[in-house]
Amino acid sequence: MVSRRDLLVGTAGAALVSQLGWVARLGAAEPAMLLVPMDDDQQNHLKAYGLAYAALKAGGKGEWLLNYRGGSFLIPDLPEVRKRAALDGVTVEGVDDSAIGSIRSELAGGNMDSVVLEKAPTVAVYSPPKSPPWDDAVTLALNYAGIPFTNVWDDNVIQGDLSKYDWVHLFHEDFTGQFNKLYINSRGAPWFIEQVERDQDMAKRLGYPTVPGLKKDVAAHIRQFVDRGGFLFAMCGATETLDLALAAHEVDIDGPFSDGTPVDPDADAKLDWSRALAFQNAHIEMSPSVNAMSDIDGHQANVPSRKQPLGAFTLFAFSAKFDPVASMLIQNHRSVIPDFYGVTTSFMKSTLKASDIVLAFEEGAPWVKYVHGDAGKGSWTFLGGHDPEDPQHSIGNPATDLALHPNSPGYRLILNNVLFPAAKKKPLKT
Amino acid sequence: MLRRHSLKTALAVFAVLVPGARASAQDTANAVLGRAYDLEQKGQWAAAVESYQRALHSGRPEAAVLGLERVYAEMGHSDAMVPILDSAIVAWPRDPILRSAQLRVYRALLRPGDERLAFERWVRDAPRDATPYREYAQLLLEEGRASAADSVLDRAERALGSGRELILETAQLRATLGLWEPAARAWRAALDTAGDIAAAAAYSLRPTPDSLRPTVRAVLLAPPVSLGSRRAMADLELSWGSARAGWAALADLRPDSGAVMEWEQYGEAAVGAGEWLVARDAFRSVLTARPGSPAHAADLAARAASAAMHGGDAVSALALADRAGTGMDSALVARTILPVRVQALAALGRSADAEHAARAYGHWLDESGRATLTREIAWGYVRAGDIARARAAVSASALADDEELGGWLALYAGDLKAARVALRRAAAPSADLVTALAFLARTRADSAPVAGRAFVQLARGDTVAAARTFVEASDVVRDAAPLLLATAARLHEARHEDAAAVPLWRTVVERYADAPEAAEADLEWGRALKRGRDVSGATARWEHLILTYPESALVPQARRELESARQSTPTTS
Repeated sequence: MVSRRDLLVGTAGAALVSQLGWVARLGAAEPAMLLVPMDDDQQNHLKAYGLAYAALKAGGKGEWLLNYRGGSFLIPDLPEVRKRAALDGVTVEGVDDSAIGSIRSELAGGNMDSVVLEKAPTVAVYSPPKSPPWDDAVTLALNYAGIPFTNVWDDNVIQGDLSKYDWVHLFHEDFTGQFNKLYINSRGAPWFIEQVERDQDMAKRLGYPTVPGLKKDVAAHIRQFVDRGGFLFAMCGATETLDLALAAHEVDIDGPFSDGTPVDPDADAKLDWSRALAFQNAHIEMSPSVNAMSDIDGHQANVPSRKQPLGAFTLFAFSAKFDPVASMLIQNHRSVIPDFYGVTTSFMKSTLKASDIVLAFEEGAPWVKYVHGDAGKGSWTFLGGHDPEDPQHSIGNPATDLALHPNSPGYRLILNNVLFPAAKKKPLKT
Repeated sequence: MLRRHSLKTALAVFAVLVPGARASAQDTANAVLGRAYDLEQKGQWAAAVESYQRALHSGRPEAAVLGLERVYAEMGHSDAMVPILDSAIVAWPRDPILRSAQLRVYRALLRPGDERLAFERWVRDAPRDATPYREYAQLLLEEGRASAADSVLDRAERALGSGRELILETAQLRATLGLWEPAARAWRAALDTAGDIAAAAAYSLRPTPDSLRPTVRAVLLAPPVSLGSRRAMADLELSWGSARAGWAALADLRPDSGAVMEWEQYGEAAVGAGEWLVARDAFRSVLTARPGSPAHAADLAARAASAAMHGGDAVSALALADRAGTGMDSALVARTILPVRVQALAALGRSADAEHAARAYGHWLDESGRATLTREIAWGYVRAGDIARARAAVSASALADDEELGGWLALYAGDLKAARVALRRAAAPSADLVTALAFLARTRADSAPVAGRAFVQLARGDTVAAARTFVEASDVVRDAAPLLLATAARLHEARHEDAAAVPLWRTVVERYADAPEAAEADLEWGRALKRGRDVSGATARWEHLILTYPESALVPQARRELESARQSTPTTS
């Protein structure tokens, strides 16, 4: 998988190669290219990602023009590509060599750069066999953009199937095994009962005495996937609970509903944060009747007395030439995006590790929204919140129809993460 | 003797003076209060404060305190209420109005700790009273602190030995917390003893999610039958868009006076919601069970007839109109019953009877009223296919110069030239008018009896014949052929006859690719294929539309269909 150093070297190399290639192309016929603008000229930003992905999947190569017209793509101008663009309503512009040359000059002169997109990543979404009564923003985005993915669940993870994929997505899952503490308000709901039974059956089938035991091991496998070079993208409650599960590997942080025993009163002191990806020194929510996991979440949306109002978050501006990874993850046609609640909405700065890269923050707030980091040979990105176009989402609400939000800046952040693993470069040999 | 007499006199004088004295003090208090209120209304806050403070000590403490609370709030000096209330409560410790005011003032001052303490002192001073719990819970609920309110009500139940006195607050709270089944149970308990809160119960339970509505229904409809819970259920169903289910909740009530009154009110509500046939049934049930006075019965029958007609039930409308007219004087018949009667008769193809009725009672109406009747009669003849009698009815009336009606009659006769002019300024919008105007604008032909025949069949509601005749007309009126074929296809689709529609859509696409109807034909052909489970065929049609007619206004719909076929967007029901 690509590391930041690889990309740094690779991006500089790509610029050099493309300049040389451009010179070499003089007098030689070159396939024409399509520019897929990602600024306000684009009619459908979300499907544009699908178009770029499809071009890669068909064996073509493309480029991601970081910070150029909202993070545009350059992809081969082929009849199938044009047809898909027309059918999907994606704005494309044919560009000849001269236009490409102008673009490259512009990239060279500003905080912009080009990253080669080589291979369509294989995508897995960790989600239960029967959808719960809420929706996964990432699944919605992938379906809408037409990017294929495979569903995986606990049995697949424990069996080691994650190694088959480049990119894994986590969403609502409570890796501490406490069912997101939904027993507080939804204990009698048929879907909740079914979920508990399903998880208990799975735990029993895989040889675990309790659901928390199973979920913590699943978390450990996910961590292993990242360490071995995988890319992880997590949203909502999965962000916080994954790290809590990793840190609480040998500690009982679950209330009696989950495992029949109370929370270890010394849990905080016993957590091993070196196992976690993003967070450290957080405090477990000791009360099983308070609908929060820890103090990692800044907004505490499900605890009425602590709930913080929503504001807006700002995408950090990185140097495209020196921080291509972070730049890729924040490509957008908007720099300030309205915030949205989730089981975990935001991440308190005080709980972040020093090595975390903050990708988006709320001005003046003690929390951040979007963070990224490396772990082993792989990397991870966490985005707080449930659905960028449904800020006050509640269980039972209808799914967001992305056809009504084809230019969603929030959903672009999700899709940036899907395409990011496609940027693979081997280091140049000097 | 004199002393006794003097004593008697003194006593008599005193007996007169004391009640009078008492009355005088009361008058003084009322006068002071009245003056204070006037000053408050005029915005003279400082003077109002002075008057209210005087009233505080003149025997009307509650009204004075409430007045001071309002005025000090306007002045931004709510903190001045604190010592006033402290003193007042010492003097009248059991007065709930003063205690409630104290809670509100602390809330307004954002002093939750003092608010809590005030509540605790109230409970201590009135340990068997539900009022402190009720008031405090209500305030907490208003602050959005539903969990805290819940705790207070729980405590009340333990302290008072039962939650019965606070069942209303419990019901509201449970609904606020989204605990729909417990909320329904609490409302049911309250409704069984106080039926007049049905509207409040329905309002509170309205946000129940779809998945939990069966549970709420089961609770409210469970035996024993109670008027309050049935009325709440009916209101709920109406708000949920299920007026018929709402009527079912009421219809099997024993027809006592309370139930019948609810039926009539539900009928009115159904009229307001446009649920005509439900309204018809409700009014008819009242008429059957307890018609009341002849005037009331006639009025009910008229309302039922009108509802039936609005709902398209001409048979019932006629029967009810006849019943309403029995025993009514002619002028009243003309004003209230005749329009519905004529409408029903015309709808039932009995235009001659409608004409007879209009002649018998029409003179009681003004010209506009008679014109309305004539219009109904003319349309009745048109629907029966008798254009000549329709024309005769019109020409014999004040509608002889009515351009729009004349235009329609010309079109039905195939006189496109006259219709083109006369219908240009037609006011009454309808789907048939849109089709007619589009056709008349598209073709240059001056005459086309076959097209006129098709429009008559359309007006009669004979869509099968109309579709067939529009196709026939497409071979005659060639310059409007794609439009006529598309019209025929739409009629088949309205009847879910895809097998008949598809060949027509195909003809438009293949033979008239440049026509304005071609994009629609591609879209609808695709939809028909999808319904026939030929998803790949459907996809091909929509792709063809998008790629061939990229500027068409139907492209977004085609994209939507493609996304739905690929399941790339959530399905909506």
